Amino acid sequence: MITIDNLNLHYDKKSGHNAEKNAASTQVIFDLSLTINEGEKVAIIGPSGAGKSTLLYHLYKSLQTNAALCSQRQGLVDNLSIYHNIFMGALARHHWLFNLVNLIRPFKQDLRDITSLCQWLELDQPMTKKVDKLSGGQRQRVTLARALYQQQAIFIGDEPFSALDPLMTSRLLDTVFSLHKSVIMVVHDRAMAMNSFDRIIALDKGRLVFDSKHQSVDQQQITALYQTSAVA
Amino acid sequence: MQQKCDTQSPLAYWKIGYWQKVTLSIWLIALVILPFSDIEIVNFDPFLELKLMVTGLISPDFFATEYLFQAIIQTINFAIIGVFCGLVLGAPLALIYQNPIVSSCCAFLRAIHEIFWALLFLQVFGLSPLTGILAIAIPFAATFARVFHDIINQSSDSPLESIDNRADIISRFSYGKIAQVMPQLMAYTRYRFECALRSSAVLGFIGMPTLGFYMETAFRQGNYSEGAALLIIFIAIIGTIRYWCPAKLIGFYLIIACITLVDIPAIDSSLLLRFISQDILPPAFANAATLADIQWSSLYHWLSSLLSTQAMPGAITTITLALLALTTTHFVTLSAHAMTSKHLWPTPLTWLGQLTLLVGRSIPEYILAFIFLMLLGPSMLPAVIALAIHNGCVIAYLSVKQSNNFPPQQMHINKLNQFSYHIMPSIYPNMMALLFYRFEIIVRETAVFGILGVMTLGFYIDSNFSEIRYSNALVLITCTALLNVAIDIISRRLLALPQTSQASC
Repeated sequence: MITIDNLNLHYDKKSGHNAEKNAASTQVIFDLSLTINEGEKVAIIGPSGAGKSTLLYHLYKSLQTNAALCSQRQGLVDNLSIYHNIFMGALARHHWLFNLVNLIRPFKQDLRDITSLCQWLELDQPMTKKVDKLSGGQRQRVTLARALYQQQAIFIGDEPFSALDPLMTSRLLDTVFSLHKSVIMVVHDRAMAMNSFDRIIALDKGRLVFDSKHQSVDQQQITALYQTSAVA
Repeated sequence: MQQKCDTQSPLAYWKIGYWQKVTLSIWLIALVILPFSDIEIVNFDPFLELKLMVTGLISPDFFATEYLFQAIIQTINFAIIGVFCGLVLGAPLALIYQNPIVSSCCAFLRAIHEIFWALLFLQVFGLSPLTGILAIAIPFAATFARVFHDIINQSSDSPLESIDNRADIISRFSYGKIAQVMPQLMAYTRYRFECALRSSAVLGFIGMPTLGFYMETAFRQGNYSEGAALLIIFIAIIGTIRYWCPAKLIGFYLIIACITLVDIPAIDSSLLLRFISQDILPPAFANAATLADIQWSSLYHWLSSLLSTQAMPGAITTITLALLALTTTHFVTLSAHAMTSKHLWPTPLTWLGQLTLLVGRSIPEYILAFIFLMLLGPSMLPAVIALAIHNGCVIAYLSVKQSNNFPPQQMHINKLNQFSYHIMPSIYPNMMALLFYRFEIIVRETAVFGILGVMTLGFYIDSNFSEIRYSNALVLITCTALLNVAIDIISRRLLALPQTSQASC
C-alpha cells in the first residue's frame, strides 16, 4: 500500500507538520524506512515528542485519495450541529449545490445514516445540538463519526479514543476495524496496541525503535521504550 | 539591577513605559498645536442658548414634526436597503480582498464619507432614495469586504484540514470557514446596521428626507422642544434595535422597506451623461473638443491653485482638528470609563453611567457637533467636543464591557487602589489600541464637519458643490480620501498595531 524510504521530516511552529527544512523548523523524523501493506492494522506507539503525529500526517498526505483522517486537532466547526459536522465527511460525495442546501435543511437519507452512525458510537445527543455544547468525549466521537462517514478504505487516526473510557474504546475500535480494510493509528494505550493490532511500530526521538513485523515484541521492550525517554 | 542602584538614585534606572510614552506624546502634540488652532467661543451668550436647549429637552414635543412617521420609516429604509446592498456587493469582495487592487480600491471607497457620496449622487439623482441608498451602500460594501476578509482569515484552519481534499472548493469553504465564523459575521452586520441608521439620519442634513432633516430644521429655527423629541426618538430607535429588529424579521423588514420607499423618480440620463462627460471634468477638459485642444498649462494652473488654496489649508485644519479631538477623546474615554466602572461605584450608580454612554454613542458626531455649534458658535471647539464625546463614549463602552468582566482581586485593598493597580493597567493597552483605531474614523468625520462651517476639507468641498464646481469638489474629495488612507497606513506603521479591523466602524 505504501512504502517510505529514508524519510526525513521537519516540524515548524508556523506552518505545522511536514514543513520545508529551514532555520525555524526542527527535524522530527530521521531516516525512517517503512512498508505498510493493505489489510494491516498498524498501531504506532512512542513517548510524546517521538514524531508520531508528524509521521501519521505524512502517511495521510500520501494516502489521501482513499484514506480518512481522524486528527487530534479535531477541526470541528463549533457553530455547526452534530449532524453537519459529521456530514462534512461526505462533502466530496455530493455536488456543492447539494451541500449548500443541506447546510440550510438536512436531507432525509443523510440524516438517517448519521443518526444511526451516532447510535453505533453511543452518542445519544440531539442531531441539532451545536458541538460546542458537547463534552470532550462526545466531541471526540463526533470527530470519529466524521472520519467514518467518509467511508474510505483506510482509517488513519491520531489517538482517536484518548478521552474515552477503556470499555467504550474497545467497542469503538471494533467498529473502526469492521468498517475499514486497513487501519493506521497512533495509540497511547500500550495494552490495547499489543492486544488488538496486527502490528506495532515504535518511535522514539524521530527514529524507528522496533517494528513487530520483523521482530517479536514483548511487554518489556515497550516499557523500556517509555522509560528511556522519561529519563532523557 | 539591585546592586547597580546602590550608588545612584534608583529612579535613574526607572524607564518610562511604552504606553506612558504614547500617552505623553499625544498630549504633547495637542499642546503644541493648540495655539495654532481656532478654538474660541464665538457665541456672545452661550448660556442663554443652553438654557433654551435644556428647557426644550425637559419639555420635548413629540407631535410638532409633521412628517415624523415618514421620516422614521425613511431613515430605517435607507439603512436597511443600504446595508443589504452593501452586503451583496461587499461579501463577494471579501473573498478576493487579498488582491492588492481590490483592497486599495476598497480603502479608497471607504475613505470617502457617506455625506460626500451623497453630495455627489445628489447632483445626478437629486433627492431620490437612490442617493441615500447608494451613499450608504458603497462605503459600507468596502468596509464589509475588509472586515469579513479579516474575520475569515483569523478563523482556524483545522476544520479545512479534516475535510476530504476531493470535495469541491465551495463545499469546503462553506462548511469549513463560513459556517465557523457565521456568528461573528452576523454580529458585525448588526453593528453596521446601527452605524447605517446613524449615517441615514445624518444624510438629512444635506436634504434627504430622514430624521436629520427635521432635526436640523428644528434646531436651526430654535424649536428645541421639537429637536429634543426627535433626538430622543432617534436614541430610542438605536437603543432598541435588538427588540424591533431580530435576525428572523430582517427579510420581512427588507420587503417592507422596498414597498414603503418613496418612489424613485426616473433617472434623467441626459443629466447623468452631462455630469460624467462635462461637469466633473476639469475646465480645461470640458471646454476642449478633442484631445489636441486641451490646454495643459491651464490644467496645471487650475490644479495647483486648487491644491494650494483649498486642499492644503483644508488638510492642515483637518489634521489639526483630528489630533486635538484624539487627545480630548482620550480624556473623555478615561473619565467615562471611570464613571461607569463597577469596580469603583455601586451597581445602581453605574447604570447612570451606562445610560450616559448609550446617549453619547447613539448620537452621531455630526448631530452633536451641530448642537454644540448652535451653543458655542462656529469654531473648531464644537467639532472637538462632539468627536470627543461620541468616540470617547464608544471606547469607554467597549472598555467597560471588558473591565466589568474582571473578577475583583482577592487581596483586600480599597476600590480606588484596585482600580488604579489592577483594572487600569489591565485594560489600558486595549483602550489605547481602540483609541487609535477610532483615529481613522475621527479623521473621516473631521473632514465632514466642514459642511457645518469648520474650515476642514469638507468646507471646501461643500462650497464647491454649491458653486457648481463639481470638478473642484471631486479633486478635493479624492484628496480627502487619500489623506485618510495615508493617515491610516502611517498610524498602523507607527504603532505596529495588530491588523484587526473589528473595532473600527
